[in-house]
Amino acid sequence: MKMNRRGFIKACGFMAGYAVLGVNLTKEAVASSMNFVGLRQKSVYDADAKIYKVRKSQDNPMIAKIYDHKDGFLHEGPCGHMSHHLLHTHYVDRSARLAALKAKGFKFNL
Amino acid sequence: MKKIEGVMAQTNAPKGIDPDGIFFVQVDPTKCEACGTCEEVCATGAIQAINEDGIRAVVDPAACMNCGQCLTNCPYSAIYEGVSFVDEIFEKLQDPDTVVVSMPAPAVRYGLGESFGAPTGTYVGGQMHAALRKLGFDYIWDNEFTADVTIMEEGTELIQRVKEQGKKGARPLPQFTSCCPGWVKFTETFYPDLLPNLSSCKSPIGMLGPLSKTYGAHETHTPAKKIYTVSIMPCIAKKYEGLRPELADSGFRDIDATINTRELAYMIKTAGIDFNSLPSQKPDPILGDSTGAATIFGNSGGVMEAALRLAYEVLSGQTLKNPDIKVVRTHEGINTADVAVPGFGTVKVAVASGLANAAKLCDEVRAGKSPYHFIEIMSCPGGCVNGGGQPIDPEVTASLFRSTVAKINKRFRARRVSA
Repeated sequence: MKMNRRGFIKACGFMAGYAVLGVNLTKEAVASSMNFVGLRQKSVYDADAKIYKVRKSQDNPMIAKIYDHKDGFLHEGPCGHMSHHLLHTHYVDRSARLAALKAKGFKFNL
Repeated sequence: MKKIEGVMAQTNAPKGIDPDGIFFVQVDPTKCEACGTCEEVCATGAIQAINEDGIRAVVDPAACMNCGQCLTNCPYSAIYEGVSFVDEIFEKLQDPDTVVVSMPAPAVRYGLGESFGAPTGTYVGGQMHAALRKLGFDYIWDNEFTADVTIMEEGTELIQRVKEQGKKGARPLPQFTSCCPGWVKFTETFYPDLLPNLSSCKSPIGMLGPLSKTYGAHETHTPAKKIYTVSIMPCIAKKYEGLRPELADSGFRDIDATINTRELAYMIKTAGIDFNSLPSQKPDPILGDSTGAATIFGNSGGVMEAALRLAYEVLSGQTLKNPDIKVVRTHEGINTADVAVPGFGTVKVAVASGLANAAKLCDEVRAGKSPYHFIEIMSCPGGCVNGGGQPIDPEVTASLFRSTVAKINKRFRARRVSA
């Protein structure tokens, strides 16, 4: 295909457009979604201030009931024996599988 | 495959298998337009181009934290979910011998309404409880109650850690929060040396599962073996968490099924419930009542603020008059604050929104240069309200201009490769 002067300038215009758009598209997408998130965040803080009558965990009557020193289910208090059995956990080192992938030549961001 | 609120999902309900081998999100190569948005939003790089045309895929579950940010940001709805429990939950709701318990997370009530035409962020907590009752859930328990329990446990753990510094066998500072399942897997995979810094507390849903089958079963005189617990989350990574083999402390599986906000909307629509005409109802007490401190768990910085509302009072012995601790509220990036507590001193805290920011704080801790007592991390920018399981922002798929440009790009690239 023979390229004339007009065609060349037109092609340059397209290329420049793509170059600029390519960089900005994802940034734009992320920025607009943060606005969307901001609306949801505002609604959460409004509910905390206006809808929920009690605003501190320790003031929740059902928290007082479950941690009641006399006959509460978690009567030893937070981090007690029953808490450790039911509400606390342990974690597993999962780095070996990632190392195996990296050894195979996969590249990740971290 | 089934279409659920604009997202395709494989309707399998895995049982007793290692969640590490499951693709909770994956790209449909026939729909991928190679625009690269997913790669841009992925902190770990688990999603990447697999051929010269730029078609993306999650290359291995080991590198994927299941946060689903790629899915909610894909302009072509090309990313699908690998696990959905909706069919099984419908069966259990109809089984008279099964007692089905609902466990919705805080952020669900700020997203669910959008699936029924409400403006972004509308609070629909009361209608959500009514809808769960209508769907046939036997107990309307709420994950916000265990968010309050989490504050009691995690706040107490933090105070213990601060006090034991300098003593033998002291657990290290800073203490990291452990509510976000994407973040927990992230630590286990990329920063296993920092696991001792992670709070030993389960997440709120990790606590509500076993409490339902022990305390809840006892209080309602229900045989624990009949109870089927349904975790309802703004999140995809919670599906991974629910399948963790160690979460079986009640003597049964603590969490039987996990769905997200989109799937709950789908279930309400499928059941023919007119959501917008529902009255506002309360959850069942015992494991249902909650506070403002619990609901702010949905925002980045929320767990921190809720924990400080407790820590301030415990450490100072005084009442915190204004519970708003606005300095820790985080929209994006990293937020740090010094909170003065009378009679104690300064509590130094940091909040990171998004795993790329989390990595920066982790590197600081690893280098021994972190000045903080307590660090909150949320995988999703902005927190759970922006979770991978929330209704999709219509803006993401609406832009005809953007999608046209990407389509032209793809064709342009394809021609170049073949030429």
